[in-house]
Amino acid sequence: MKTDIAVVGSGLAALTAVRALRQAGRDVTLVWPGLTSLYFLAATVDVLGYADVGAGGAVQNPSDGVARLIAEHPDHPYALAGLPALQAGLALLLDWFKEAGLDWQGSPTRNLMLPTATGTPKPSCLVPVTMAAGDLDDPMPIVLCGFAGYQDFAPELAASNLQRSWAKGSRRVTAVRIGLPGFNPDRLFTSIDIARRFEEPSFVTEVGALIQAAIPAGPVRIGLPAVLGLTRTRDIHAALMARAGHPVFEIPTLPPSVPALRLFDRLRKQLQETGTELIWAAPAHAAEVHNRRCTRISLKAAGREQPLEARAFILALEDWVDGAFRAGVHLVREPFFGNVIAEHPKPADRTAPSLFSPQPYAQLGYRVTDHLQPADEAGTPLADNVFIAGGAIAGYDPSGTKSRGGMAVATGYRAAQEALAA
Amino acid sequence: MPDLSTGVVVIGGGSTGAGVLRDLAMRGIDAVLVEKGDLASGTTGRSHGLLHSGGRYCVNDEAAAIECVEEGRILRRIAPSTIEDTGGYFVSVTEEDTEWEPRFVEGCRKTGITCERISVDEARRREPALSKQVRTAFWVPEDGHLDPFFLVLGNVESARRRGAKVMTYTQVQGFLREGEQVTGVRLRDVVSGTETTIGCQAVINATGAWSGLVARLLGVEVKVVPMKGIMVVLSHRLAHAAINRCHKPGDGDIIVPALSVAILGTTAAKVSNPEELPIEWGEVRQMIDDGAMMLDGVTTARAMRAYAGVRPLYDLGAEAEGREMSRNFAVIDHEQRDGVKGFTSIVGGKVTTYRLMAERVVDLVARRLGVTTVCTTAQVPLDDGERPMDELRHRPAALGVPKPHGDEAPLQPLLCECEMVRPADVTPWLADPAVRGLEDIRRRTRSGMGPCQAAICSYRLAARLVTDRGLSGEAATAAMGDFLESRWRGVRHVFWGSQLRQAQVTSGLHLELLNLDRQLAMDRDVAS
Repeated sequence: MKTDIAVVGSGLAALTAVRALRQAGRDVTLVWPGLTSLYFLAATVDVLGYADVGAGGAVQNPSDGVARLIAEHPDHPYALAGLPALQAGLALLLDWFKEAGLDWQGSPTRNLMLPTATGTPKPSCLVPVTMAAGDLDDPMPIVLCGFAGYQDFAPELAASNLQRSWAKGSRRVTAVRIGLPGFNPDRLFTSIDIARRFEEPSFVTEVGALIQAAIPAGPVRIGLPAVLGLTRTRDIHAALMARAGHPVFEIPTLPPSVPALRLFDRLRKQLQETGTELIWAAPAHAAEVHNRRCTRISLKAAGREQPLEARAFILALEDWVDGAFRAGVHLVREPFFGNVIAEHPKPADRTAPSLFSPQPYAQLGYRVTDHLQPADEAGTPLADNVFIAGGAIAGYDPSGTKSRGGMAVATGYRAAQEALAA
Repeated sequence: MPDLSTGVVVIGGGSTGAGVLRDLAMRGIDAVLVEKGDLASGTTGRSHGLLHSGGRYCVNDEAAAIECVEEGRILRRIAPSTIEDTGGYFVSVTEEDTEWEPRFVEGCRKTGITCERISVDEARRREPALSKQVRTAFWVPEDGHLDPFFLVLGNVESARRRGAKVMTYTQVQGFLREGEQVTGVRLRDVVSGTETTIGCQAVINATGAWSGLVARLLGVEVKVVPMKGIMVVLSHRLAHAAINRCHKPGDGDIIVPALSVAILGTTAAKVSNPEELPIEWGEVRQMIDDGAMMLDGVTTARAMRAYAGVRPLYDLGAEAEGREMSRNFAVIDHEQRDGVKGFTSIVGGKVTTYRLMAERVVDLVARRLGVTTVCTTAQVPLDDGERPMDELRHRPAALGVPKPHGDEAPLQPLLCECEMVRPADVTPWLADPAVRGLEDIRRRTRSGMGPCQAAICSYRLAARLVTDRGLSGEAATAAMGDFLESRWRGVRHVFWGSQLRQAQVTSGLHLELLNLDRQLAMDRDVAS
């Protein structure tokens, strides 16, 4: 197989890169390693929620926050990608989402504080419109509404937490549960089962009526688990609000994340509809390099190794969930150049004592040049026409600062620009 | 005046204490068990879960082996719900092991252990994972898996039905005395800090590795040697039966199929404090390497976590060290030995012989109290309540939880998909005051013990703390954080392979999607 530019990955970094390359009129082949866990977890694009992993309040303006981060940490992946790449990448995404029929909103200069399923305020940059009414800058009281027998969104837990922390306890949050028509609490059902039923207009009307009956009239907004359909979300959301008589917003649930399924499925289809070659469930590895140019990589597709030739390659794997690296007991290797990227006398050295601290393992990855090329220890590119994007870049753990999405978008965009020039 | 009065206070909520409580209750003696943590949270719950046939001890410690044989047979009668009758193999993998064989065979014969030599081909036909290094194999049908949590719960619930009481998270601070007579205990709730006293006629110290520390509160000495052992949990069973190495008992020579997982054990290292059991990488590595000598797949299976337990070896005064020391137990009559009336210690032993240990110590205490009722714990099954024991604890097989593809019964909701725990299975435990945190729910239901190590069920359980217990969001979220942290402490010692992928999913869910790290930090800041 031959292509102009090959992009490997299944997250936002890969998608951003593909979109940027397509807009520049290039032929692209997207290699998806398969359904990854992030696919089931993602819900918003978080650019920079907190300046530091330790204490400190949320970042209000992510662009300013990233600019400060770049000034203080010139080696940070955000610094390598550059603020313009972040801004252009976010604009490109919003534009693309609109074209694909996905209603998203947001601006690089403002974080929205939205409640999570534990009732914790969380700063996000780009969000689905169906979540936006959860904005905690708005003082309107909130009723969190769960479903009988549904365990993946707990309104009682979330309401208690949100009531305590939102504007220092001065706002009103309550919890309610309704029974969903046709869902017996003693039978197993998942977020996706509910989302499918919401695709039926009669179900939306019934649930809207139940919400209206359960929640007295008055100025409140309703937080629901994010299960309002898989494809017709905009219509479902509007119809539900009209019937319920209150503003409604979605809150991401435990996996599977319906917002993530909506997003990735729609974008994947849109790419295919517009002529991007897509190779599905094909883990890639083994870059062949001659004179510092990668000529091809190998795909494990359909039970055999298949070479993929390209003029440039973007490796946009999202850390461990995408299988970006292989961790043995002591050595961590990357699969494209076969290099050892870290060695640990003890496996526990890869971890912090607390799950909630920055993790050494999450910071492992490719050392990269200013052009995002994978580099050796001296900083020399391993290949001039290979570019790394997303979580596979060494040196940061985006979990604590809530910045995975933004870094993926910025580095994905920047990698695309580099690949265009290569 | 003490806050509460009873006949006997039992200190320690492991298998021994639970067995003692049941034995007392069955003889009609009023009793209260106090435990500074949760039931089965010390040595018992941190054992490897091997129900010993006795084969391990039959050469070096005939008395211990005979006890295992007898007690194993009794347990199969009185507590079948807690046992999986896997049988076991003793395999030799080196030439040195082969030299041990005649002594092993002779030991089995002398101690009455059923043992059958089978060809390696036959052994491999039954257990295809046996390594190429296996040279000889003995089938020992009376090895098995003993579920230590369920065993303790079964004893405690049986005792509760007969009026006994249990106080968890209650630490003994000191004793009430009148002259030489112990008349009660002073207690402190380790969570709330509330102090109480219980008046009693006798105290039984069943605290195993902690018994020296408890006895010291009375100024008497119990020479117990806390001996640390490391275990590694693999994500699935590698063999149908327990696999023992046929050699002089040493490290890393046991692999137990424990319900949904395989447990590799164990080591022996003296420690000064039973509370501090650091897990060293060398020990973990040794478990994997030694295990791989007996079974293929040990190095490629996913290691899920490592944990450490502490055995209470009783120093009988011999020169013996470590494994050379007896796994026998002793009843210490402090009235006779130290002139302290109403205080008795039961030390040494092992989970397999917990019932016998209880019988011996209660025989003495009952006699002192003038109670002549004989012990019936060997005859009356644990499962003698109205509610079958299998319902006490979720048992997918026994309860008939349908398979996803079956259509004969509706698929029931699950709270923990890894271990197939249903929402209804945690309901009675949320109503039990002995249950405080989510680890306590885990010990009773297995929720959180599977491959995702509580990533999913921690949230669902925290939600239940709010709805079923009326806890605040803050307390429930703190419990959720504690649960995830306690799982993480075991996970991080076996951090290679797909563990990293799992960890990123856990962190993606809890840090990136829920923002739990900030919630916990926020609540800590407010608290301080």
